[in-house]
Amino acid sequence: MKILIVEDNERVARFVTRGLREAGHTVDHADNGREGMFIAASEPYDVIVMDRMLPGNIDGLAIIEALRKSGNRTPILILSALNDVDERIRGLRSGGDDYLTKPFAFGELLARVDALGRRSIDSGAAQRTLQVGDLRMDVLSRRVTRGARVVNLQPREFKLLEYLMRHANQVVTRTMLLEAVWDYNFDPQTNVVDVHISKLRQKIEHDSERPLVRTVRNAGYMMTEHG
Amino acid sequence: MVRLIRSSALTWALSYVLLGLAALAAFAVPLWYAWNVTIYSGREAILLDDAQRLTDVFNREGVAGLTAHINERVGMQIAGERTLLLTDDAYRPLAGNLAAWPQGIPSNPGTHAVMADLAGQPPHTLLVQTTLRGGYHLLVGRDLSRFLPLERRFTWGLFASVTFLFVVGVAGAILIRRELLARVQGIRQSVSAIMQGDLRHRLPTARSGDELDTLSQTLNGMLEHIEYLIHGISNVSNSIAHDLRTPLAELRSRLEELTLTRPSPAETFAEIEAAVADVDRVMRIFSALLRLAEIDSGARRSGFVRVDAAAVAAEVVEFYEPAAEQKGVVFSFQAAGEAAVAGDPVLLAQAVSNLIDNSLKSVPDRGAISVRVGRRADGAVEIAVADNGPGIDDADKPKAAERFFRGDASRGTPGVGLGLSIVDAVAKLHGGVLQLLDNHPGLLAQMVLPLTSAPP
Repeated sequence: MKILIVEDNERVARFVTRGLREAGHTVDHADNGREGMFIAASEPYDVIVMDRMLPGNIDGLAIIEALRKSGNRTPILILSALNDVDERIRGLRSGGDDYLTKPFAFGELLARVDALGRRSIDSGAAQRTLQVGDLRMDVLSRRVTRGARVVNLQPREFKLLEYLMRHANQVVTRTMLLEAVWDYNFDPQTNVVDVHISKLRQKIEHDSERPLVRTVRNAGYMMTEHG
Repeated sequence: MVRLIRSSALTWALSYVLLGLAALAAFAVPLWYAWNVTIYSGREAILLDDAQRLTDVFNREGVAGLTAHINERVGMQIAGERTLLLTDDAYRPLAGNLAAWPQGIPSNPGTHAVMADLAGQPPHTLLVQTTLRGGYHLLVGRDLSRFLPLERRFTWGLFASVTFLFVVGVAGAILIRRELLARVQGIRQSVSAIMQGDLRHRLPTARSGDELDTLSQTLNGMLEHIEYLIHGISNVSNSIAHDLRTPLAELRSRLEELTLTRPSPAETFAEIEAAVADVDRVMRIFSALLRLAEIDSGARRSGFVRVDAAAVAAEVVEFYEPAAEQKGVVFSFQAAGEAAVAGDPVLLAQAVSNLIDNSLKSVPDRGAISVRVGRRADGAVEIAVADNGPGIDDADKPKAAERFFRGDASRGTPGVGLGLSIVDAVAKLHGGVLQLLDNHPGLLAQMVLPLTSAPP
């Protein structure tokens, strides 16, 4: 994917750029708002990572609003040190697609950038059926099968599995799952998400079957055909 | 004197005195006018009629006829009721009950109605003078002195009312002002004491719920909140110094040791990972503190909506169920119907989550946790989380919700010591309280949220 980073802090920018390049992405970097705006408007990107506090007291949200007004629909991940719920809502309302609070773990950033990039590829395709390996989900009839076997899931387990399947072959972090499946933006101290995942795995991966969900160290989970 | 005039109590009281005077005037002026019209103007018309009748007699019967007529009437009359006088053109009396033409009567011909004081006669007489043909002068009068006492009484009454109103008004104003000033002085002294740093000081509220008392109570509530916030701030700075220093010191020594000893790459990476974990721990404390500050500021109250506390708790319970199951904990949930409050669903969920989290950490394997949501008799919604873990020592209970407090029982468990502080802050934000009780054995933590969810 082609990614633009607008971030004035050199160290953070270097860390993110290097990490994303290692993950196989093409990365451009702008260290101020005007340049960022110019580059974003002149070249197509798959994802833009936008810092909120930019030099010259420019709010990244103003740039996002300007980009959206000019018809630019590139998915944007907002980086911010402001963690109020209201700030998060303001960020998303201004046209941002996701919001990540500084400081962050790189795994979290990478997972979210991947999710955003994927969204731009199959944008708007609310698929009726999802499939990973021999696991199939019919979203409308809420029917899940593994091969010939029917898997019975609780509503929340269904939502969790749907999210994992929609983001197959991508890392999803615990925070992303908390936000998307439970709508919680706080951090439970016990590893509750892990327990939910392991319970789900018991249902979709019987002993004889190939595992589908993999734990990614220091990041989260990934669902793949090959486990 | 300037202070006396500037006193608002005095201004108000004096305004009321003036208003009273105006009301009195509004009462007296029409009365006086009505009196004047009926007594004076009415009498004048009667006298003019009388004078006209006598003139008719004169015109018919001449001077001799009129003289006889007047003499006859004077003879019949009750003394003093009617004044009659007929003179020739040189004002020499011809008939009537006046000895001489009185002074001060205009001598021009025509009919006049004048008030005159007659020497030797009772004063206050209404006179009508007519000049007849041949230069004769005729005076017809009516003594009005019997109305004088009434008039005098009315005037005195009015005067007394004005004086009474004025004296009572001013005296009342001074008394009210003194009373108000004394109480304002009391409030001012308390506020001065508070400004000098004694935050525990409160405004005097001995009296029975009047306006000033209500104001004092409200201000006391505000002071309570300010004291709580200031206390929180100083607590936090102390705790930051203490609790953040520990992991930061650990982190620092870890990194410094790395630079000094330069161990093998495998060991270096293990140490770096441990360092990242240290930083994460500091971050968690930071975000918990920021969250607390956000809740304490009360800003979230503007986003309050109607929330069913039972539904929120049910979702959190469902969220924790697998974790409890994994630990072999008996986890139960009871809700008595809908429990609607005005609140922030995310914060309420976090509070319930923190309570369950605490219980999960403290109960032994195969312990029991029960969550109950119900409405109390007074309409308050109660969210209770009970466990059979070690509980909290009675001595520690008042301190348990303080920031960074960690009881002896929880020393060894993970956590930063802010969970209950957040629950407490959320309860306070919703106008309620967090109560920590004994579950015999274990902890019974309940959030009581009042029906109206008014600000504290």
